[in-house]
Amino acid sequence: MMIQPLSVLNRTTACSGNKLLDQPYLVINLVFAGIIVMILAYSAIFSAEKDNYPVPCIHEKVTGEECPSCGISHSFSLIMRGRIGEAYDWNTNGMRVFLFFFSQLLMRIFFSRTYLTDPGSSRELIILDITGSSLLFLITFMPFMIYLFRWI
Amino acid sequence: MEDLSRNPNQYKEPVSGPGQPDKRPGGQNLGVAALITAIITFVFAVIPCVGLMAVIPGIIAIVLASVGLSQASKKDSPRGILVAGLIIGIVGTLISISQIFVAGEIAKKADKWSNKIEKIVDEVQKDVMKEIEDANIDIRIQNGDEKVEISTSVNKKEREQTLEELEMGKTSDDDTTLIRPE
Repeated sequence: MMIQPLSVLNRTTACSGNKLLDQPYLVINLVFAGIIVMILAYSAIFSAEKDNYPVPCIHEKVTGEECPSCGISHSFSLIMRGRIGEAYDWNTNGMRVFLFFFSQLLMRIFFSRTYLTDPGSSRELIILDITGSSLLFLITFMPFMIYLFRWI
Repeated sequence: MEDLSRNPNQYKEPVSGPGQPDKRPGGQNLGVAALITAIITFVFAVIPCVGLMAVIPGIIAIVLASVGLSQASKKDSPRGILVAGLIIGIVGTLISISQIFVAGEIAKKADKWSNKIEKIVDEVQKDVMKEIEDANIDIRIQNGDEKVEISTSVNKKEREQTLEELEMGKTSDDDTTLIRPE
């Protein structure tokens, strides 16, 4: 095994870091993975028992009417703690939205890895990612969209 | 370990260095930032609880994409990400703004409903009072064999008539005497 000087190793690491940051697709994946991890952390930190969520339902505050996403934070917290039945009681859409975010986290990791390991298929990979994510988004958020556009 | 630099579509060694002009496509970083912000806006805008707040990142996304597009047009660089960011940002912001209007409409309707309910309650109250005014009251008290019955009418018209009769009687049968001090 050849031992490299520390300066060479540092340069290599910096270069690979730049390579990642110069790829918009990888940057976007990295940022979204980070945001999803933050959402999961938010659900894990705040608990349904203490009811100390910092983000209230603005829609309910303005209109005085409950919306389909009310109780979704409670639902997420309970899912994180494995209490699926209670989570379903808080919000019927909670499980679906949670699965969407979780699947997106897995997709970000998988697609980034494939993008790096199979460079030849990067274009097809991005198209597949956009199509799949859009479909998943529509399926997951359809009840919310129906609620929002019920006035039309 | 695979060599990432083999992919022609991927990484290109930046020509620029410290003190040299940036050779990367103009507005590329802004495009990435705009696209990320626009997607966040879109996801937030669709969730009713936080949809009203999505206007803020939406405007940020539109501004970033617009600035990026102007830079890209100057340097004649690719604009795919920038256009995507701009379109998604505009759609997300429009959804969010529509939520603001919808919330406003609901709030207005809630006010109207409360006024209507108040009116209905007032009408019902008036009707009940009117019925009570014209009602007959019967009171029966029974204690063993003793039985007392009080029957009275609170008919407003009858009471007014009785009062008029009494007043008339007072004027005709006036038996008051005047005492003059000496």
